[in-house]
Amino acid sequence: MADATTDATTDASVAPTSRPRLDVQGWSCCAAAAAGFVVCLVGWLRGGATVSLPWAPTLGVRLDFAFDGLAALYALLATGVGAVVFGYGARYLSQHLADHGRPRSERWRFWPWMALFAVAMVGLATATDLVLIFVFFDLTAVCSYFLIGFDRERREARTAALTALLVTIVPAVALLAGAVLLSATYGTFSVPELVERAEPGTTTTVAGLLIVVAALAKSAQVPLHFWLPRAMEAPTPVSAYLHSAAMVAAGVLVLGRVHPLLARSEVVLTVLLVVGLTSIAVGGVLALGRDELKQVLAYSTISQYGYVVTLYGMVGAAASGAAAFYVVVHAVAKCALFLSAGAVTTATGEDRLSHLGGLGRRLPVLAGATGVAAATLAALPLTGGFFSDELFFGAAKEQGPVLVVAAVLAAALTFAYIGRYWMRLFLGPTGTTPAPLSRVLVVPVVLLALVALVVGVLPAPITQLAEDAGAVSHAAPVALSPAYHLDLRATNVMALAAWTLGGLLLAVTGLRDRASRALAVAGDRLGPRRAYTASVLGLRRWSGRVHDWETRDLRSSIAAVLVPAGALAAAAFASTPIAQAYSVGPISGTDWLVLPLLALTGVATVVAARTRERLSIVLALSAVGFALAAVYALQAAPDVALVAVLVETMLTLVFLAALARLPGTEPRRESAPRAGRRWRDPVIGAIAGLGAFAVIWGYLSEPREAPSVSADQIRLTPAAHGKDVVTVIVADFRGLDTLGEITVLLIAAVGVATLLRRGRLWLPRPGRPGARRSSCGWSPGSCWDRASWSPSP
Amino acid sequence: MTLAIAAVAAVLFGAGSYLLLQRSLIRVVAGIALISQCAIVTIIGSSLSEGRAAIDPEQGGPLSDPLPQALALTALVIGMGTLALLLALVHRVVVAHGTAERDELRDVDRPAVVDPEGAGRREGDETE
Repeated sequence: MADATTDATTDASVAPTSRPRLDVQGWSCCAAAAAGFVVCLVGWLRGGATVSLPWAPTLGVRLDFAFDGLAALYALLATGVGAVVFGYGARYLSQHLADHGRPRSERWRFWPWMALFAVAMVGLATATDLVLIFVFFDLTAVCSYFLIGFDRERREARTAALTALLVTIVPAVALLAGAVLLSATYGTFSVPELVERAEPGTTTTVAGLLIVVAALAKSAQVPLHFWLPRAMEAPTPVSAYLHSAAMVAAGVLVLGRVHPLLARSEVVLTVLLVVGLTSIAVGGVLALGRDELKQVLAYSTISQYGYVVTLYGMVGAAASGAAAFYVVVHAVAKCALFLSAGAVTTATGEDRLSHLGGLGRRLPVLAGATGVAAATLAALPLTGGFFSDELFFGAAKEQGPVLVVAAVLAAALTFAYIGRYWMRLFLGPTGTTPAPLSRVLVVPVVLLALVALVVGVLPAPITQLAEDAGAVSHAAPVALSPAYHLDLRATNVMALAAWTLGGLLLAVTGLRDRASRALAVAGDRLGPRRAYTASVLGLRRWSGRVHDWETRDLRSSIAAVLVPAGALAAAAFASTPIAQAYSVGPISGTDWLVLPLLALTGVATVVAARTRERLSIVLALSAVGFALAAVYALQAAPDVALVAVLVETMLTLVFLAALARLPGTEPRRESAPRAGRRWRDPVIGAIAGLGAFAVIWGYLSEPREAPSVSADQIRLTPAAHGKDVVTVIVADFRGLDTLGEITVLLIAAVGVATLLRRGRLWLPRPGRPGARRSSCGWSPGSCWDRASWSPSP
Repeated sequence: MTLAIAAVAAVLFGAGSYLLLQRSLIRVVAGIALISQCAIVTIIGSSLSEGRAAIDPEQGGPLSDPLPQALALTALVIGMGTLALLLALVHRVVVAHGTAERDELRDVDRPAVVDPEGAGRREGDETE
């Protein structure tokens, strides 16, 4: 920890310019991640555990966590790589904030999200309930939004954050849809139970495809890969963590978790194979031609996760184990490469290969560590990469010649782009002279490179981890045996072929660069990024137009509520199966008296809506009220009928009193409404009415629950010393409600009194000077005392 | 009978919605009155008579459901309070501004159009 403040230089002797203070938040995150790593390690060694708590039992959603092999692998990655990156970030962030002239308090906008991200990653790794997986899946996306957009003053960072959020979170809905589909068919969200119950068939295929879409978008696979290169706007620790070991790994983690389900559908496996191989090719070729350091690494990540997706597409024990092994090795190597790119940019202020070069002489330690990481990606012997490629080749060999050729080409491509990257950066003529580097920025790279080397010599622990994880994905035990063999077995020949081809690609610079540039141009012209931009802009325009229309006036706002509500409610009720749906209902006895009254109500309602005479409106309203009161009386509801008569009488009087101060007829519009406008309001009213009709009819047709609260209330009424049940309910059983109702009435009465007294409850005494003038409201010529309303000129 | 009640409630709601869209505040208030009538009809409709009025239960025999009636009572009284308040508001508006027409009222209290919200939205235009 002392390293944070020492600022010692590793590769140069010039004294540092500033001594930033200790980043407490960063180092506590680092310590927490390290502790989490130890806990996960102990948990894995002790054989794991499962926790299952009810969350929403009526929906069948549970808090199911299992610390199995797959969970252990990803949790160890998230915490282990997290600890290294957080240590690096504690130093990097101080420098970054100082360089941009931002206050140190901005750390509070960074570390909480990083920590939450790590927690979400561990949660995602251990969750075995599809709904829970979805929750953690989205939580990582939300964290990544704030982390990628950390430099929020820069437009590019904000755009990149939004792109990453939209491209990963919108397909995540497909994951939820797939989960619901599976749950509707098999009655559970739990992955292990689904693995037991699910049969091969259309449902499993469709649900599998939906889950795959979400996972592939998260893992930045073609054609939803474009968010990842843009997300390189994020600070380096974010890229190193999210885009090597965490966020992009979340996608393949979900694939690994549900793989036993996916393996039941040939279609899903074919999709995985095709997308994986395409991503390897597209990512690799584009990485060959990129100039910015982090862009090369981003396209490399797309390509490398293509390997994992391809492995999941080949079904089999070897492939599942190889996928798990590949994820670990890649995460370690790629994280080291990202951290080294950040260190180079911090030292030189440059982020382009064309402006850099020859750094190996000035930064030998960094060059060596980066070289190991690059060699790991290129699958050279003595690094973990050799074994991951050996397992990859081994799995491909079982699938036939096409995949063998594809695997060799993929490895050659990887060899070429990462070789070009390292050579351009550390060999050749010096481009920019580096400033001294803090040790804290170099140690993590060295540490990760050492891990890659150790795996290259002693693969046993990672093999064990990968076997455990592969066993979960394959739903059967997996045995892996990575080892060096000095003979011409198939995997060795494939590796040799890949290195030779890769070396050739490195040599023919002209052809290579032209091909990469052509693909990049084609991607920009026709690629999915263009479609994304167009759709986002189109949606924004459309939303702006709807918003403008909706807020134009009150009428539009009301219509914007009535029309969709009416249409949606009617559609929902029309499409939901209800017992005894839409029954006409029997007509008997007094009902023959009720029907004419209802007809009268209907007619009076239409009159109230159509007339322009204000007196007619009031009379029509009271006709509606009194007719309905009679209906209530005939429907065995005498209490309601009595109150309705009282209320209607009072309302009619209040209306008449109000009308005495208003003109008698509605003013006609000066100009006739435009054609089409005349029908607008009636059509909106009709839609709302039809929606209400479907809802009310459906609701009234539903048979009532047999033992209702009313039965108890009827039974208890004599005990309350009453005879009229309704009265007893209002006064006794629901007395508190009645108290609230009286309060509302009181408030309304105070409001009415205040409004009638020119906006004040107590009038100033008439004798006071100035009282008279102030009583004339705020608008001259509109005084209450004028007793009658006069139209404005 | 169910159908008849539903139809009347729908007519009340539709006419109320239509009136809500009108320019005159008086007609808007009438629209609200019709919509609250619709709510009460629906509540009473859900307890369509299954017997005599729910008075003196010790006599025996089927009773109509008293709970919706109690709810309808509440709705009626609250509806009256709301309407009285609305009418007083309309009255106040007429006194203060000399009109009960929404289109004429729109510009009364509005300062010169600055539209800071629109400007803010354009600044946050973050996509591409």
